Amino acid sequence: MTDTQWNVFEVFHQQARGEPHVHVGSIHAPDAEMALVLAKEQYSRRQACVNLWVVPAEAILATAYENDDIFERGTDKSYRESWGYKTPKTIHGDGTA
Amino acid sequence: MTFNSLESLKGTNRDAAINLLYRLADDELIIGHRNSEWTGHAPILEADIAFSSMAQDEMGHAQAYYQLLHQLGERDPDTLAFGRKPREYRCASLVCLPKGDWGFSVLRQFLYDASETVRLTALCGGSLVPLAQLAGKLRGEEKYHLMHGRSWVLRLGNGTDKSHAAMQAALDFAYPHALGLFEPTEYDEPLAQTGISPREDELRRQWESAVAPVLADARLTVPGEAKPFYGGRVGQHSDGLGELLESMQLVYKIDPTAKW
Repeated sequence: MTDTQWNVFEVFHQQARGEPHVHVGSIHAPDAEMALVLAKEQYSRRQACVNLWVVPAEAILATAYENDDIFERGTDKSYRESWGYKTPKTIHGDGTA
Repeated sequence: MTFNSLESLKGTNRDAAINLLYRLADDELIIGHRNSEWTGHAPILEADIAFSSMAQDEMGHAQAYYQLLHQLGERDPDTLAFGRKPREYRCASLVCLPKGDWGFSVLRQFLYDASETVRLTALCGGSLVPLAQLAGKLRGEEKYHLMHGRSWVLRLGNGTDKSHAAMQAALDFAYPHALGLFEPTEYDEPLAQTGISPREDELRRQWESAVAPVLADARLTVPGEAKPFYGGRVGQHSDGLGELLESMQLVYKIDPTAKW
Protein backbone atom coordinates (compact mmCIF):
# COMPACT_ATOMS: atom_id res chain seq x y z
CA MET A 1 0.00 0.00 0.00
CA THR A 2 1.24 3.50 -0.82
CA ASP A 3 2.09 5.68 2.17
CA THR A 4 -0.35 8.59 1.99
CA GLN A 5 1.19 10.40 4.95
CA TRP A 6 2.80 13.75 4.35
CA ASN A 7 6.50 14.29 4.92
CA VAL A 8 7.83 14.37 8.45
CA PHE A 9 9.42 17.54 9.84
CA GLU A 10 11.22 17.71 13.17
CA VAL A 11 10.14 20.70 15.27
CA PHE A 12 12.43 22.82 17.47
CA HIS A 13 10.95 25.25 19.95
CA GLN A 14 12.51 28.35 21.53
CA GLN A 15 11.01 29.65 24.77
CA ALA A 16 12.74 33.04 24.84
CA ARG A 17 15.18 34.95 22.68
CA GLY A 18 18.74 33.78 23.31
CA GLU A 19 17.61 30.40 24.63
CA PRO A 20 18.52 27.28 22.63
CA HIS A 21 15.96 25.76 20.27
CA VAL A 22 14.88 22.47 21.81
CA HIS A 23 13.54 19.49 19.87
CA VAL A 24 9.91 18.96 20.89
CA GLY A 25 8.63 16.40 18.39
CA SER A 26 7.70 15.95 14.77
CA ILE A 27 4.88 16.93 12.48
CA HIS A 28 3.41 15.81 9.14
CA ALA A 29 3.10 18.51 6.49
CA PRO A 30 3.22 18.80 2.69
CA ASP A 31 6.04 21.38 2.82
CA ALA A 32 8.14 23.41 5.25
CA GLU A 33 5.93 26.51 5.37
CA MET A 34 2.84 24.44 6.15
CA ALA A 35 4.88 22.54 8.75
CA LEU A 36 5.54 25.84 10.54
CA VAL A 37 1.86 26.80 10.38
CA LEU A 38 0.73 23.46 11.82
CA ALA A 39 3.58 23.20 14.33
CA LYS A 40 2.58 26.54 15.84
CA GLU A 41 -0.66 25.12 17.29
CA GLN A 42 0.76 21.66 17.89
CA TYR A 43 3.77 22.76 19.94
CA SER A 44 3.22 26.27 21.26
CA ARG A 45 -0.38 26.25 22.42
CA ARG A 46 0.54 25.41 26.01
CA GLN A 47 3.98 26.94 26.53
CA ALA A 48 5.65 30.26 25.83
CA CYS A 49 7.33 30.46 22.45
CA VAL A 50 9.12 33.13 20.45
CA ASN A 51 10.46 31.07 17.55
CA LEU A 52 10.03 27.71 15.86
CA TRP A 53 12.30 25.78 13.52
CA VAL A 54 11.17 22.95 11.28
CA VAL A 55 13.67 20.64 9.61
CA PRO A 56 12.86 17.88 7.11
CA ALA A 57 13.42 14.64 9.02
CA GLU A 58 15.23 13.23 5.99
CA ALA A 59 17.83 16.02 6.30
CA ILE A 60 19.01 14.56 9.59
CA LEU A 61 21.84 12.07 9.48
CA ALA A 62 21.93 10.00 12.63
CA THR A 63 24.35 7.51 14.12
CA ALA A 64 23.17 3.91 14.30
CA TYR A 65 22.27 2.56 17.71
CA GLU A 66 24.20 -0.61 16.89
CA ASN A 67 27.28 1.63 16.93
CA ASP A 68 26.50 3.20 20.28
CA ASP A 69 29.67 1.63 21.61
CA ILE A 70 31.56 4.45 19.89
CA PHE A 71 30.37 6.68 22.72
CA GLU A 72 31.70 4.44 25.44
CA ARG A 73 34.88 5.50 27.24
CA GLY A 74 37.48 2.82 26.99
CA THR A 75 39.69 4.45 29.60
CA ASP A 76 39.26 7.01 32.37
CA LYS A 77 38.42 10.38 30.75
CA SER A 78 37.41 12.21 33.90
CA TYR A 79 40.11 14.82 33.13
CA ARG A 80 37.77 16.08 30.40
CA GLU A 81 34.97 16.84 32.84
CA SER A 82 35.19 20.51 33.60
CA TRP A 83 33.69 20.63 37.09
CA GLY A 84 33.71 23.98 38.77
CA TYR A 85 33.26 26.07 35.63
CA LYS A 86 30.14 28.14 35.17
CA THR A 87 28.44 26.81 32.04
CA PRO A 88 25.91 29.32 30.74
CA LYS A 89 23.19 28.18 28.38
CA THR A 90 23.57 31.38 26.40
CA ILE A 91 26.55 33.51 25.51
CA HIS A 92 26.03 37.22 25.02
CA GLY A 93 28.20 39.47 22.90
CA ASP A 94 30.00 40.79 25.98
CA GLY A 95 30.86 37.28 27.15
CA THR A 96 28.38 37.31 30.04
CA ALA A 97 25.81 34.60 30.49
CA MET B 1 -12.81 62.65 19.56
CA THR B 2 -11.60 60.11 22.10
CA PHE B 3 -13.64 57.93 24.43
CA ASN B 4 -11.37 56.88 27.27
CA SER B 5 -14.02 54.69 28.87
CA LEU B 6 -17.17 52.85 27.84
CA GLU B 7 -19.08 55.00 30.31
CA SER B 8 -18.18 58.15 28.37
CA LEU B 9 -20.35 56.96 25.44
CA LYS B 10 -23.77 58.64 25.35
CA GLY B 11 -26.90 58.50 23.22
CA THR B 12 -26.45 57.44 19.58
CA ASN B 13 -22.72 56.87 20.04
CA ARG B 14 -23.46 54.40 22.80
CA ASP B 15 -26.10 52.59 20.72
CA ALA B 16 -23.66 52.49 17.79
CA ALA B 17 -20.87 50.99 19.92
CA ILE B 18 -23.24 48.37 21.36
CA ASN B 19 -24.36 47.41 17.86
CA LEU B 20 -20.76 47.17 16.63
CA LEU B 21 -19.77 44.98 19.60
CA TYR B 22 -22.68 42.60 18.96
CA ARG B 23 -21.63 42.25 15.32
CA LEU B 24 -18.01 41.57 16.29
CA ALA B 25 -18.90 39.16 19.09
CA ASP B 26 -21.60 37.20 17.29
CA ASP B 27 -19.44 36.67 14.18
CA GLU B 28 -16.66 35.27 16.39
CA LEU B 29 -18.97 33.06 18.45
CA ILE B 30 -20.72 31.51 15.47
CA ILE B 31 -17.66 30.91 13.30
CA GLY B 32 -15.92 29.53 16.39
CA HIS B 33 -18.76 27.07 16.85
CA ARG B 34 -18.84 26.13 13.16
CA ASN B 35 -15.09 25.54 13.06
CA SER B 36 -15.26 23.50 16.26
CA GLU B 37 -17.48 21.07 14.35
CA TRP B 38 -14.23 19.84 12.71
CA THR B 39 -12.80 18.70 16.04
CA GLY B 40 -12.15 14.99 15.60
CA HIS B 41 -13.09 15.13 11.91
CA ALA B 42 -10.39 17.18 10.14
CA PRO B 43 -8.41 15.42 7.37
CA ILE B 44 -5.28 14.91 9.47
CA LEU B 45 -4.40 15.16 13.16
CA GLU B 46 -2.23 18.27 12.77
CA ALA B 47 -5.00 20.12 10.90
CA ASP B 48 -7.54 19.02 13.51
CA ILE B 49 -5.48 20.44 16.38
CA ALA B 50 -4.77 23.74 14.60
CA PHE B 51 -8.37 24.29 13.50
CA SER B 52 -9.75 23.38 16.93
CA SER B 53 -7.31 25.75 18.63
CA MET B 54 -8.37 28.57 16.35
CA ALA B 55 -12.02 27.83 17.10
CA GLN B 56 -11.17 28.25 20.79
CA ASP B 57 -9.43 31.55 19.96
CA GLU B 58 -12.58 32.85 18.25
CA MET B 59 -14.74 31.84 21.23
CA GLY B 60 -12.30 33.70 23.47
CA HIS B 61 -12.57 36.81 21.31
CA ALA B 62 -16.37 36.59 21.46
CA GLN B 63 -16.21 36.35 25.24
CA ALA B 64 -14.00 39.46 25.42
CA TYR B 65 -16.43 41.47 23.27
CA TYR B 66 -19.42 40.22 25.32
CA GLN B 67 -17.56 41.37 28.43
CA LEU B 68 -17.38 44.91 27.01
CA LEU B 69 -21.11 44.70 26.23
CA HIS B 70 -21.76 43.62 29.81
CA GLN B 71 -19.85 46.70 31.02
CA LEU B 72 -22.18 48.73 28.81
CA GLY B 73 -25.18 47.35 30.68
CA GLU B 74 -26.02 44.34 28.50
CA ARG B 75 -26.54 40.91 30.04
CA ASP B 76 -23.61 38.73 31.20
CA PRO B 77 -21.45 36.99 28.56
CA ASP B 78 -22.90 33.49 29.09
CA THR B 79 -26.44 34.74 28.72
CA LEU B 80 -25.51 36.72 25.62
CA ALA B 81 -23.82 33.69 24.05
CA PHE B 82 -26.38 31.06 25.00
CA GLY B 83 -29.56 32.80 26.06
CA ARG B 84 -30.68 34.67 22.95
CA LYS B 85 -33.05 33.83 20.10
CA PRO B 86 -31.75 33.70 16.49
CA ARG B 87 -33.20 37.11 15.56
CA GLU B 88 -31.25 38.73 18.40
CA TYR B 89 -27.90 37.72 16.87
CA ARG B 90 -26.08 40.22 14.62
CA CYS B 91 -23.74 37.83 12.80
CA ALA B 92 -23.30 37.79 9.01
CA SER B 93 -24.55 34.87 6.92
CA LEU B 94 -21.00 33.73 6.08
CA VAL B 95 -20.33 32.47 9.61
CA CYS B 96 -23.69 30.67 9.86
CA LEU B 97 -23.21 28.47 6.78
CA PRO B 98 -22.78 24.75 7.51
CA LYS B 99 -19.16 23.64 7.64
CA GLY B 100 -19.34 21.91 4.24
CA ASP B 101 -16.15 20.18 3.09
CA TRP B 102 -12.64 20.96 4.33
CA GLY B 103 -11.89 23.18 1.33
CA PHE B 104 -14.96 25.32 2.01
CA SER B 105 -14.20 25.60 5.71
CA VAL B 106 -10.59 26.73 5.22
CA LEU B 107 -11.64 29.14 2.46
CA ARG B 108 -14.32 30.62 4.72
CA GLN B 109 -11.80 30.84 7.54
CA PHE B 110 -9.43 32.74 5.23
CA LEU B 111 -12.11 35.16 3.97
CA TYR B 112 -13.39 35.72 7.49
CA ASP B 113 -10.02 36.18 9.17
CA ALA B 114 -8.93 38.58 6.42
CA SER B 115 -11.95 40.70 7.37
CA GLU B 116 -11.06 40.39 11.06
CA THR B 117 -7.53 41.57 10.34
CA VAL B 118 -8.82 44.60 8.43
CA ARG B 119 -11.29 45.40 11.22
CA LEU B 120 -8.87 44.93 14.11
CA THR B 121 -6.25 47.08 12.39
CA ALA B 122 -8.83 49.86 12.05
CA LEU B 123 -10.17 49.43 15.59
CA CYS B 124 -6.64 49.59 17.04
CA GLY B 125 -6.41 53.15 15.82
CA GLY B 126 -10.02 53.91 16.75
CA SER B 127 -11.28 56.46 19.26
CA LEU B 128 -12.95 54.02 21.69
CA VAL B 129 -9.96 53.26 23.90
CA PRO B 130 -11.16 50.05 25.63
CA LEU B 131 -12.04 48.55 22.24
CA ALA B 132 -8.77 49.76 20.68
CA GLN B 133 -6.84 48.10 23.52
CA LEU B 134 -8.74 44.83 23.13
CA ALA B 135 -8.25 44.87 19.35
CA GLY B 136 -4.51 45.28 19.93
CA LYS B 137 -4.47 42.20 22.15
CA LEU B 138 -6.37 40.04 19.62
CA ARG B 139 -4.33 40.97 16.56
CA GLY B 140 -1.56 38.40 17.07
CA GLU B 141 -4.00 35.49 17.06
CA GLU B 142 -5.81 36.85 14.03
CA LYS B 143 -2.47 37.25 12.22
CA TYR B 144 -1.84 33.54 12.75
CA HIS B 145 -5.37 32.64 11.63
CA LEU B 146 -4.76 34.52 8.40
CA MET B 147 -1.41 32.76 7.84
CA HIS B 148 -3.19 29.44 8.37
CA GLY B 149 -6.09 30.19 6.03
CA ARG B 150 -3.80 31.64 3.35
CA SER B 151 -1.53 28.59 3.46
CA TRP B 152 -4.44 26.19 2.91
CA VAL B 153 -6.09 28.28 0.19
CA LEU B 154 -2.83 28.53 -1.77
CA ARG B 155 -2.14 24.80 -1.56
CA LEU B 156 -5.65 23.61 -2.39
CA GLY B 157 -6.08 26.21 -5.15
CA ASN B 158 -2.77 25.14 -6.71
CA GLY B 159 -3.11 21.45 -5.83
CA THR B 160 -4.81 19.03 -8.21
CA ASP B 161 -7.53 19.72 -10.81
CA LYS B 162 -10.00 18.27 -8.31
CA SER B 163 -8.89 20.46 -5.41
CA HIS B 164 -8.78 23.55 -7.63
CA ALA B 165 -12.32 22.94 -8.91
CA ALA B 166 -13.58 22.39 -5.36
CA MET B 167 -11.98 25.63 -4.17
CA GLN B 168 -13.40 27.64 -7.07
CA ALA B 169 -16.87 26.24 -6.32
CA ALA B 170 -16.38 27.09 -2.64
CA LEU B 171 -15.34 30.65 -3.53
CA ASP B 172 -18.29 31.15 -5.89
CA PHE B 173 -20.58 30.08 -3.07
CA ALA B 174 -18.86 31.87 -0.17
CA TYR B 175 -17.95 35.20 -1.75
CA PRO B 176 -21.42 36.83 -1.75
CA HIS B 177 -21.82 35.74 1.88
CA ALA B 178 -18.39 37.19 2.71
CA LEU B 179 -19.50 40.53 1.23
CA GLY B 180 -22.35 40.39 3.74
CA LEU B 181 -19.73 40.87 6.49
CA PHE B 182 -19.72 44.50 5.34
CA GLU B 183 -23.48 45.05 5.36
CA PRO B 184 -24.02 48.77 5.99
CA THR B 185 -25.91 49.59 9.18
CA GLU B 186 -27.72 52.64 10.48
CA TYR B 187 -24.67 53.20 12.71
CA ASP B 188 -22.11 53.56 9.89
CA GLU B 189 -22.17 57.36 10.09
CA PRO B 190 -21.93 57.83 13.89
CA LEU B 191 -19.19 55.17 14.10
CA ALA B 192 -17.19 56.84 11.32
CA GLN B 193 -17.79 60.40 12.52
CA THR B 194 -16.68 59.61 16.07
CA GLY B 195 -13.66 57.68 14.75
CA ILE B 196 -14.69 54.47 16.55
CA SER B 197 -14.72 52.40 13.33
CA PRO B 198 -14.51 53.14 9.58
CA ARG B 199 -17.61 52.83 7.41
CA GLU B 200 -18.44 49.31 6.20
CA ASP B 201 -17.87 50.19 2.52
CA GLU B 202 -14.36 51.42 3.40
CA LEU B 203 -13.62 48.18 5.29
CA ARG B 204 -14.97 46.16 2.37
CA ARG B 205 -12.62 47.98 -0.02
CA GLN B 206 -9.64 47.21 2.24
CA TRP B 207 -10.73 43.58 2.54
CA GLU B 208 -11.09 43.16 -1.21
CA SER B 209 -7.54 44.52 -1.68
CA ALA B 210 -6.29 42.10 0.96
CA VAL B 211 -7.88 38.89 -0.34
CA ALA B 212 -7.53 39.53 -4.11
CA PRO B 213 -3.76 38.83 -4.42
CA VAL B 214 -3.99 35.62 -2.37
CA LEU B 215 -6.95 34.33 -4.39
CA ALA B 216 -5.08 35.21 -7.62
CA ASP B 217 -1.99 33.31 -6.38
CA ALA B 218 -4.32 30.37 -5.69
CA ARG B 219 -5.53 30.65 -9.35
CA LEU B 220 -9.06 31.36 -8.09
CA THR B 221 -11.39 33.80 -9.84
CA VAL B 222 -13.43 36.22 -7.76
CA PRO B 223 -17.08 36.05 -8.93
CA GLY B 224 -17.78 39.10 -11.06
CA GLU B 225 -21.30 40.11 -10.13
CA ALA B 226 -21.62 38.86 -6.58
CA LYS B 227 -24.74 40.20 -4.88
CA PRO B 228 -23.99 40.45 -1.15
CA PHE B 229 -26.09 38.45 1.31
CA TYR B 230 -27.40 41.09 3.70
CA GLY B 231 -29.79 40.82 6.64
CA GLY B 232 -27.57 39.24 9.28
CA ARG B 233 -26.72 42.59 10.87
CA VAL B 234 -30.42 43.25 11.52
CA GLY B 235 -31.20 39.76 12.76
CA GLN B 236 -32.54 38.22 9.54
CA HIS B 237 -30.90 34.79 9.32
CA SER B 238 -31.42 31.57 7.40
CA ASP B 239 -32.60 28.43 9.21
CA GLY B 240 -28.95 27.38 9.56
CA LEU B 241 -28.40 29.71 12.50
CA GLY B 242 -31.49 28.45 14.32
CA GLU B 243 -30.31 24.85 14.00
CA LEU B 244 -26.80 25.79 15.12
CA LEU B 245 -28.11 27.64 18.18
CA GLU B 246 -30.38 24.74 19.11
CA SER B 247 -27.35 22.50 19.24
CA MET B 248 -25.05 25.08 20.88
CA GLN B 249 -27.57 26.12 23.55
CA LEU B 250 -28.81 22.61 24.37
CA VAL B 251 -26.77 22.06 27.52
CA TYR B 252 -27.13 25.66 28.74
CA LYS B 253 -30.90 25.52 28.49
CA ILE B 254 -31.14 22.43 30.71
CA ASP B 255 -29.98 24.61 33.63
CA PRO B 256 -28.99 28.21 32.85
CA THR B 257 -27.89 28.78 36.46
CA ALA B 258 -25.51 25.80 36.59
CA LYS B 259 -21.95 26.60 37.72
CA TRP B 260 -19.15 24.95 35.74
